[in-house]
Amino acid sequence: MKASSSTYQDTSIWRFFSSVRLAVFLLITLAITSIAGTVIPQGESLQFYLETYGPNFFRIIKILHLNDTYHSWWYLILLGLFSTNLIVCTLRRLPFTLKLFRRDNLIVDSGRLLRMPFKKDWEIKGELDNDSIQSISSAFKEVAGKFRERIDADGGRLFLAERGKWSYWGVYGLHGSILIIFFGALVGLFLGFKGSVMLPEGETIDQIVNRQTGEHILLGFSVRCDRFYISFYDNGAPKEYRSDLTVLNNDDKEVLHKSIVVNDPLVYRGVTFYQASYRAIPEVTVQVAKSDSPRLSLTISAFQKALWPEEQLTFGLMQYRPSVHGRPAAHIWVEDQEGREGNFWLLKGNKKKFKKGENLYRISLTNAKQRYLTGLQVKKDPGVWIVWLGCTVLIVGFAVVFWVPHRRTWLWIDRREGKTIVILSGQTNKNKLQFEKDVRKIEETLDSNLGVRQ
Amino acid sequence: MTFSSSYLFSLTTFIYLGAAALYLIHWIFRVEKVGLLATVVTVGGLVIQTVGIGLRWIESYQLGYGHAPLSNLYESLVFFSWVTVLVYLVIEWQVKRRVIGAFATPFASLAMAYASFNSNVEDEIQPLIPALKSDWLIAHVVTCFLGYASFAVACGLGIMYLFKNRFSRDSQGIIGVIPDCKVLDELMHQTIIFGFLWLTLGIITGAVWANDAWGTYWSWDPKETWSLITWFVYATALHARFVKGWAGRRIAYISIVGFISVMFTYFGVNFLLAGLHSYGSQ
Repeated sequence: MKASSSTYQDTSIWRFFSSVRLAVFLLITLAITSIAGTVIPQGESLQFYLETYGPNFFRIIKILHLNDTYHSWWYLILLGLFSTNLIVCTLRRLPFTLKLFRRDNLIVDSGRLLRMPFKKDWEIKGELDNDSIQSISSAFKEVAGKFRERIDADGGRLFLAERGKWSYWGVYGLHGSILIIFFGALVGLFLGFKGSVMLPEGETIDQIVNRQTGEHILLGFSVRCDRFYISFYDNGAPKEYRSDLTVLNNDDKEVLHKSIVVNDPLVYRGVTFYQASYRAIPEVTVQVAKSDSPRLSLTISAFQKALWPEEQLTFGLMQYRPSVHGRPAAHIWVEDQEGREGNFWLLKGNKKKFKKGENLYRISLTNAKQRYLTGLQVKKDPGVWIVWLGCTVLIVGFAVVFWVPHRRTWLWIDRREGKTIVILSGQTNKNKLQFEKDVRKIEETLDSNLGVRQ
Repeated sequence: MTFSSSYLFSLTTFIYLGAAALYLIHWIFRVEKVGLLATVVTVGGLVIQTVGIGLRWIESYQLGYGHAPLSNLYESLVFFSWVTVLVYLVIEWQVKRRVIGAFATPFASLAMAYASFNSNVEDEIQPLIPALKSDWLIAHVVTCFLGYASFAVACGLGIMYLFKNRFSRDSQGIIGVIPDCKVLDELMHQTIIFGFLWLTLGIITGAVWANDAWGTYWSWDPKETWSLITWFVYATALHARFVKGWAGRRIAYISIVGFISVMFTYFGVNFLLAGLHSYGSQ
């Protein structure tokens, strides 16, 4: 890059931060250091690293934050330098590009035209009349495209067909797009959240747990899992995980139903719910009765308590075995109002009696099944559209930088001492091969136009 | 079941191996007719492989699975070799130098040989697991592999460049037929630009897909990170041209290092590192 700036202070620091050398150095450094986080498992407990790598390497991991490489202080410094490099480089090149962009390519002399990489000149006896110049220029227009014209005082005429001058801005789009993507990522980081929730069938949640901080986040609405389905192919591979979700507003009104599968999440008020995992937990149904009173059915799920309201007894499922002597068995825990606990095994088909205080109760296991919990990833990321914008600009900028050339084709017609001099010359900054072909075409057209007079 | 996709792919493997041998013979013994034969054989192989890919697609529908043949390691290897041959043939057609074939077709034949002969590579058509059921599958795999294949060819060009540069005083013999360093450098640059665009698109389509499937467009999964590392390497190659003394030989080295990084992104991550992309290793 040429140092052509006079508007900006050209100090050595300024030069350092705008240099391609720094860019190359940073790209190589980022490439090499990024390897660390793919070799060392990320986000494990400190205990894990101590046990796996020993105390010496553990110290290095701790200092360099290699357990979370891509958010470590030194990686962020590298990304910061990378951004600084991009910004300073842009600012430093800007005046240079502006000059290029503003330059009037009609201001040129025949000497410079003859030094162009693509050129051809003709010398014709006699002066061309205006009609012939007209026909030559329209022939030129046909192959070279729209042109601008300059008429000199001495009668010389210059035509310029210019295309793709704006393509000098492509590189700013390309480099700026990286900054847009970084900005989008920051917006997501500060204004969004990522969390997860295990939601049992039939249950409703109105908050989730932030994955990074462990804090509870209130959603401002509720989500209920109506059902979870899992299906398999004949070969046993999973075919589909599906959750039927219902969104409820604060008045418990159902506002939205959606079945979500992997690759097809639910979006509501900027919050997205993804099908991520599932768990099956046992759930048993028992019949309970107090001495001779009517029997009552109670459903007890693992990790949840079930209450028998009339008797103020609380039940829990401690353990479940699908087959004990060929029958399902459940280890039941029970507690009364005074906090007196007890536990016992129930085998399906067998009745059991237990005492709490003065009362005698009967209980039997009538049913056992799997109950599903759907694992949902929950995310809010208002920056994601900025990231997509950045990606689009990146691709468009890339295409412009590498495939949109700035092409200039000049045609000069000058009368001198009874002769006419015609100069065709051209310049491009990309794809010289194609340009050469195009200039040849113009040349041939002019040849046949001028040929009669040569 | 003679006319099945797996039969056509076995056939393709031998055709590509033969084509690579012919290109080598053409280069070493400088027989023009062998070169022409090599091109004809390669084009023939490409046609058969194309039919094979189409057939495998149809077969997957007949099995009731119905997905594009881009879902596991075997299918990706077949597709990789297909694109590599395609990219090479376009370059041959544009540049009219068959010597490059000796450095490009081996990548395609090695990929096919690995897919066909390694018993660890499952070649049966399998149903799609839930994570892969997305419209983005085709876009993501096609863009990534267009990048990979271009980088394979760029690596071949880099090796040629180093050969030529090393023995540049040999203006005759097998070095003499290699195009000039200047031509190779420009060709390598263009191929890297082409590959870089596709790799970028591959990363972006992957991010869009991940955002749909996993809830985050970037999660620093080893595959993602390695694709980014590859991206950094080729970004280096594109910027190195503007640094004094870096053009030419050093870019040829970067092109080779870049392809090693591609290979690691493709295979190494699947076999050596755990992550979200593990279905690529079956």
